[in-house]
Amino acid sequence: MAQEQVPVTVLTGYLGAGKTTLLNRILSEQHGKKYAVIVNEFGELGVDNDLVINADEEVFEMNNGCICCTVRGDLIRIIEGLMKRKDKFDGILVETTGLADPGPVAQTFFTDDDVKARTRLDAIVTVVDAKHFFSQLGQGEEAEEQVAFADVILLNKTDLVGEDDLGKVEAKIKAINPYARIHRTQKSKIELDAILDKGAFDLARILEFEPDFLKPGHEHNLDEVASLSISTDKPVDPDKFQKWMGALLQIKGPDIFRSKGILAIDGAPRRYVYQGVHMMMDSDWGTPWKDGEKRSSKLVFIGRNLDGEQLRRGFEACLK
Amino acid sequence: MKPDLANHREALPPQRKVTADAPATACAFSRDGKLLAFALGDGRVRLMPADAKQEPPAAAEPLHKGVALSLIADPLPNPKGGDGFVTGGDDGRLLRITSDGTATELANQKGKWIDKLAAHKATGAIAASAGKMALVVKDGEVREFGPHSSTVADLDFSKDGSRIATAHYNGITIWSIGQVTLPPRKFGWAGSHVALRWSTDGKFVATGTQENDIHVWRIAQASDMRMQGYPAKVKSLSWSADARWLFTSAQPVFTAWPFAGKGPEGKPPVQFGDEGAGLMTVVAASPVSEFVLGGYDSGELQLGEIKSRRSAVLKMSDSSPITCLAWSPDGLRVAAGNENGDLWTIDLAR
Repeated sequence: MAQEQVPVTVLTGYLGAGKTTLLNRILSEQHGKKYAVIVNEFGELGVDNDLVINADEEVFEMNNGCICCTVRGDLIRIIEGLMKRKDKFDGILVETTGLADPGPVAQTFFTDDDVKARTRLDAIVTVVDAKHFFSQLGQGEEAEEQVAFADVILLNKTDLVGEDDLGKVEAKIKAINPYARIHRTQKSKIELDAILDKGAFDLARILEFEPDFLKPGHEHNLDEVASLSISTDKPVDPDKFQKWMGALLQIKGPDIFRSKGILAIDGAPRRYVYQGVHMMMDSDWGTPWKDGEKRSSKLVFIGRNLDGEQLRRGFEACLK
Repeated sequence: MKPDLANHREALPPQRKVTADAPATACAFSRDGKLLAFALGDGRVRLMPADAKQEPPAAAEPLHKGVALSLIADPLPNPKGGDGFVTGGDDGRLLRITSDGTATELANQKGKWIDKLAAHKATGAIAASAGKMALVVKDGEVREFGPHSSTVADLDFSKDGSRIATAHYNGITIWSIGQVTLPPRKFGWAGSHVALRWSTDGKFVATGTQENDIHVWRIAQASDMRMQGYPAKVKSLSWSADARWLFTSAQPVFTAWPFAGKGPEGKPPVQFGDEGAGLMTVVAASPVSEFVLGGYDSGELQLGEIKSRRSAVLKMSDSSPITCLAWSPDGLRVAAGNENGDLWTIDLAR
């Protein structure tokens, strides 16, 4: 049965960054849309709404021996339950607690066939506290990883810091993840169009965007989260690519938070787009190439301990 | 009297279709076999005469605030006549519904979903999932078992009604529900267990897992087995009335694991019947005979007979997946609901 896939937005961010404020706005504003919101702490939201669902962040390891293959079983059950409702939704928002790795949430949408059939992961939105970002970076890996996972970043509480400091925070965010769109906000105030149903996994931005600090010669500490991109004008062999990427994510999945790509497959009229979260990946045919358009391919990785030379050699072996 | 498969292969049996405008989530015939009920995605519970020749009454008001997620026949007979049902909803309410549609609240667990129910006819006990707890309603008293390490995904009673088995992450737990409190017994297997059925002879507990396989524990020996090779999650399991077969969904034909004699180890499942359009979403064995009912994601409905290894189409594909199936207690009527909200009643004896 042909079904509309409901867009899912994953909302993450450090404790106190402004997630609850944002959710309250989404639930209380008149926008003519209907969203189901899946939260961890019922009591935190001031809005009494039967479309707010309490989840328990129940993560389980897939029984396939891969340590990073963790999934939120509670989300699978909740989404199956939501789809039994008579009224359908314009979107689903999933809040993750400040300290949780957003990986399992995102992976849930790649893993479960029923969930995949009914929903699509639209974007991972991270709320960053402009005032406390640097101190949070020092307190563990969560703040950095939440930025690494993001498609969209709300740089919030900008009224609490000066322009200089704001610039530094923004530069640090871009150093971790140059591919996310950044919106500066106060009290999480933002047009919902900017964060919901964006098709942020429309990957056009990846091709058009080339962060300048990734030019050769840039050095960074391997332990830090960083990004890396590889492009080519040669056509890609799809079988070789699938094999290589599958094997790569199996081995390096825990270190690779996000991987995305647009590929020109040898002889194919459409773009081949793919995106991954840790070891899970999903791919599909995108928009067709126009006549005379330059057919170039690009891969992007965001993660730790990325060996650029090795990745480049691996990808080049997949080219015709 | 019993259903005649050859007859059904020639023509579709008499059927009644009622259209509700919300997905069907569960269905059951009442204990006395007189009534049929469907739980719906708009919180309503649609009651109708079990006889497909009779007209159904108009839709009643919603009983649950969100979705009526689960429904079973009330295991307790109504002394005044006219047996009813028990329903659970995503409003956290567990309701007893009499044959005239009146609801009384058995439990209210706000913020939790009552999405799985089980009943034990001889003791009149009801079991319900409510987040990480399992509720048991018996002799007018509600008792809670848990918390489990994760949400209770499904549950079922033992044959004698003295225990319940719950499915959750990394295995199952067996709770003694008598007045003497015994420590729960845990049986482990990594991964998420999403469906559970205790065999009709009490010897085995079977689960379907997130990893597209099924797991079966021999309770007395605490030994277990795993059956793999399904293309999708096995969300529906059903033991034959004589406990010789375990039927499973998620295949294009009827699939039955043999549990008579030494059990299924080293044996392939028996697969039979005409290949249905798509995969089986729900399977339900007759409570009294060797017949089995299979509903498909294409909307097709088939009646199978394990003895002859044959099947007959009861309802054609209509592109709306079957979500629930039920047998009347005498095994002569069946009911099915789908995602569109079409509610079918079919008389097998003609």
